[in-house]
Amino acid sequence: MRILTSWRYPGNWPIFRFDDRLLLILMAAIVGNFSGLASVALNRSLVMMSEWLHHFRHYWWVFVLPAVGAALSSLFLEKVVNEGAGHGVPEVIYSVSRYGGLLRFRSSFSRLISSCLTIGTGGSAGPEAPVVISGAAIGSNIAKYFSLNDRQRVTLVGCGAAGAISSIFNAPIAGMVFAIEVIVGEWKSVNIVPIAIASVAGTEISRLLQGNQIPFSHHLFNIDLLNIFACLGLAVLSAAASILLTRMLRSMHTVSHKVSAPVWIRAAMGGCAVGVIGLFLPVVLGEGYHTVKILIEGEYGQVLAVLALASFAKIAATALTLGWGGSGGIFAPCLVIGSLVGVTYHHLLALFWPSASWVNEGYYALLGMAGLISGMLQAPLTGIFLIIEITGGWEVILPLIIVSAVTTTLCHYFEPASYYLKDLVEHGHLLRPGTDARVLSDLNVPELIEKDCIIVNQNMLLRDFIAIIKKSHRNFFPVEDDKTGHFLGIIHLDDIRPYLFDPVMYDAVILGQIMNTQVEVVHPDDDLLDVARKMDMKGLFSMPVVVNNRFLGLISKATILDQYRKELMVQTSH
Amino acid sequence: MKLTINEVAQCLRLPVSTVERWIRQGRIPIQKTGNRYLFNESTLEKWAAMYKLPFSLPEKVNATPQQIKMENLLPSMKRGGLLYDIKGDGVETVLKNAVENIHYLSSSIKEILYSSLLEREHLTSTGIGKGVAIPHPHDPLKDMIKNSLISTCFLEKPIDFKAVDGKPVFVMFILLSPSTKIHLHLLSRLSFCIRENAFVEFLKTTPDSTAFFSNIVDFENRLVKGEGY
Amino acid sequence: MENQMENRLLHIFRNNPFGRETLLQSLYFCNKVGASPVIYIPKTTKFLMYFDNDVVQVDLDKSYLISPETAIQRATELVEQGGISARFLDPKHFTASTLPDIHTNFDYMCCPRSISDMSSKIGLGYIGPRVRRIVRSARFPVLITSPVYKEWKSISVFFGGSANAIKALRLGFHIARASGIQLDVFTQTEKFSKKDYQQMIKDRNLEEEMDLYVKQWHFFENRVFEENLYDVPHDALVILGAFGHGVIRNFVFGSKMEKIQSTISNNLLIAGPNYTTIR
Repeated sequence: MRILTSWRYPGNWPIFRFDDRLLLILMAAIVGNFSGLASVALNRSLVMMSEWLHHFRHYWWVFVLPAVGAALSSLFLEKVVNEGAGHGVPEVIYSVSRYGGLLRFRSSFSRLISSCLTIGTGGSAGPEAPVVISGAAIGSNIAKYFSLNDRQRVTLVGCGAAGAISSIFNAPIAGMVFAIEVIVGEWKSVNIVPIAIASVAGTEISRLLQGNQIPFSHHLFNIDLLNIFACLGLAVLSAAASILLTRMLRSMHTVSHKVSAPVWIRAAMGGCAVGVIGLFLPVVLGEGYHTVKILIEGEYGQVLAVLALASFAKIAATALTLGWGGSGGIFAPCLVIGSLVGVTYHHLLALFWPSASWVNEGYYALLGMAGLISGMLQAPLTGIFLIIEITGGWEVILPLIIVSAVTTTLCHYFEPASYYLKDLVEHGHLLRPGTDARVLSDLNVPELIEKDCIIVNQNMLLRDFIAIIKKSHRNFFPVEDDKTGHFLGIIHLDDIRPYLFDPVMYDAVILGQIMNTQVEVVHPDDDLLDVARKMDMKGLFSMPVVVNNRFLGLISKATILDQYRKELMVQTSH
Repeated sequence: MKLTINEVAQCLRLPVSTVERWIRQGRIPIQKTGNRYLFNESTLEKWAAMYKLPFSLPEKVNATPQQIKMENLLPSMKRGGLLYDIKGDGVETVLKNAVENIHYLSSSIKEILYSSLLEREHLTSTGIGKGVAIPHPHDPLKDMIKNSLISTCFLEKPIDFKAVDGKPVFVMFILLSPSTKIHLHLLSRLSFCIRENAFVEFLKTTPDSTAFFSNIVDFENRLVKGEGY
Repeated sequence: MENQMENRLLHIFRNNPFGRETLLQSLYFCNKVGASPVIYIPKTTKFLMYFDNDVVQVDLDKSYLISPETAIQRATELVEQGGISARFLDPKHFTASTLPDIHTNFDYMCCPRSISDMSSKIGLGYIGPRVRRIVRSARFPVLITSPVYKEWKSISVFFGGSANAIKALRLGFHIARASGIQLDVFTQTEKFSKKDYQQMIKDRNLEEEMDLYVKQWHFFENRVFEENLYDVPHDALVILGAFGHGVIRNFVFGSKMEKIQSTISNNLLIAGPNYTTIR
């Protein structure tokens, strides 16, 4: 029996007990493969969907297709798998922050199906967030199956995300950087190595199944100093586009929640609007990889006005799809918007300085993509590496870095938290490893409680109490009712010092008269963050822990500091 | 020896709930299977050293330094003995004569003791009022004596001790102890006796040793009952 | 050490007559064992419970959300009639805006036989999949109430000799200590003889507690287990251990447990595989 079950507890195998790096690498390879498969599956089904729906493109009612897709996907999420609303990546980061990366099993497939329905029918959204969630959930559930601990599970969640991104873009470094920069938030070798392995596994599985192709073809650009300076302007433009997109998404979300209709109706309304836009500007439909390809090639060939309009339309379509309840991510729309903005910018330059030698529009499309990704995710490294890898060209790296850095900074100025982290930051749920909030959230009141207090009752004479003080090594004495055992108040030695040296008072005063009844108390379920804040505000050094009128113990700053230090040492040094 | 999870927590001076959480979070090299914990002591020690956490095996219950039961007044007083008719007309001579007469001590210690007693007197007088003085060295005589002792010295005639209340001193308790803790313990018991006027009156009669010790036993019994404390 | 920390029972309130029976049962249990109820009045049909190594999404059936405006008032009334003080749980953390997290730091949890399917399904032998997941993941024992409020006068523990049965026995001791009611222990002798079982108790140093808390140890000699179950008093709280085994049968609790729960309509207190003895 034991031999049979021991394979489910690889953490117990002697070789992995002290150092689990090997174990994690092994698991990372498995997770990377599975999440790679998930993203290939989504990619394939998207292609199939769009091929099948292509036959209907010429009918007049084609604009309802996105509506049907969005409604179906919303129904699927709400009624079939019962997942909550939201696009999911914050959920992953939240769970990594607070619960050691525990994710539901249903998350590993639900978003794949729902986003396939949304995007395949023409909704403007990306398939990357869904595959990241699936990959992360796969990693989490594999870790759960093998009873791994929280730290290992978090790493595997990162591995799942890395494998998914690597596989969908055929870009191992971007996947790795994304997982560490956005999902895990901790640059440590214990994380980096397994995540790198998962990226390799994810990329390899997609190359095996779909062939090793660079998604967007590679061009040689001749970049001189002028073009490098010009990219500063593009950075400003793409920052503006990111901020516009963020604000649009938020306002659409608010507006849609004011409509009192079932969620699927709302999604259908949003989808319908996207369909109408799509009638006139088909570039806004779908995840738009094809559009990006054409833009990089420089074959889009439209006039400036149409390009600018298309940029706005795509932003609007994305906000309509996602804000009204469609399912999908922000990644691919960012690429499309970025490349549209880039090409628009190129046309602008050509309009104002027709004599200067501008590199062709593909270059600006690339930079625009990097700008949008950096601006929306506020993850500059992910943007840089992704663009380099999906186009396979290193010569654009210098302007790429400039655009990413400037856009990130500008966006940060207007939107302090990225699209993924905004909700988490607002509710104080972003707890990156090694931060104060994280340490305080890990510690809890029952761990810090000190129980070696001498409890006295309210009818005790001061004389008897002095005998107790002599035996005690604490300054605090909780007072309980001698009949009910209820907590009444507390006596601090400082409060009663004047009476201590006056023997006349010894038999005249009972504790009920001198105790402090106006005490702030702590409940064991209280967050330590709140407890610490309370202590700071009232200038307290210790507080009694009381449940149901019963005194459990004391919590003091000294113990908090002691435990905090230990916790911080264990969490950070490595 | 196999440690339990509670003992590990004790080794690390942490609450058990913290250790359990660390196991769950994977911060400590202990594996949990069902309800069993798997770990290796030396690995744990290495791990603790790596993170600079305290790790020491809990002491055996018996090995914990038992609190030395502190002696009460009676044995110390018996050791110090009662000295009658100490001559002298100043603090120095009285102390000199008294120290000379303590049989319990060797002559080399007597010299040191005398000088340290004087030193302490120069600081402030040990005359605590009501005609009683408790001369003692400033620092305990750590290595020189094993046991505490109290010599009760009745003076031939009361002398001016610069006492707090200005009354001439007629009796001295020379108090020697190996540690400050014992010193304070004895001092507090002694002052409990002296606080009572009847005892001082009794001392004025220059009682013999039997009567004196039985009186001290009475006091100690009252102290045990917790009276006054 | 014991009882310093008060014991808490999580109850999810269903605002209809069926939910009233369940709450009454919870309150009765709390009164008997000196626990204090923590009541959650759901505002959404789903919530998450994060356990040590699992996260369970509980999808409540619609009846939990009936008229939220009266829910608190009704629950408070019931609690006051029960004469104990209760706390209402207000989730602090949310995984998604409609998906609150309920922490799992409790000593007991009360579930009806099903919380996610329509209550028309509830019958003997049926325990809903969510309830099973909770039992399987929880560190606390789960009180599965009988469909109608039923007071219990005695406590029966099933002891089959496995590691989990030992846990159930320990839980029984705990409940006996807390409630002051002595236990009836029931054992179906199959593979082992009476002596073997007594030896098992001896090996684990449980003899002393056995003497202290157990009124009588009944051995079922009859082959057919279900028939023997008639000897279990109808007004007893039944304590038993459950373990999900194997890969495929994760949701099956072990044959004995399934037989018991499909034959007996008493209140069941189930110690799952992750149940840790209350310190």
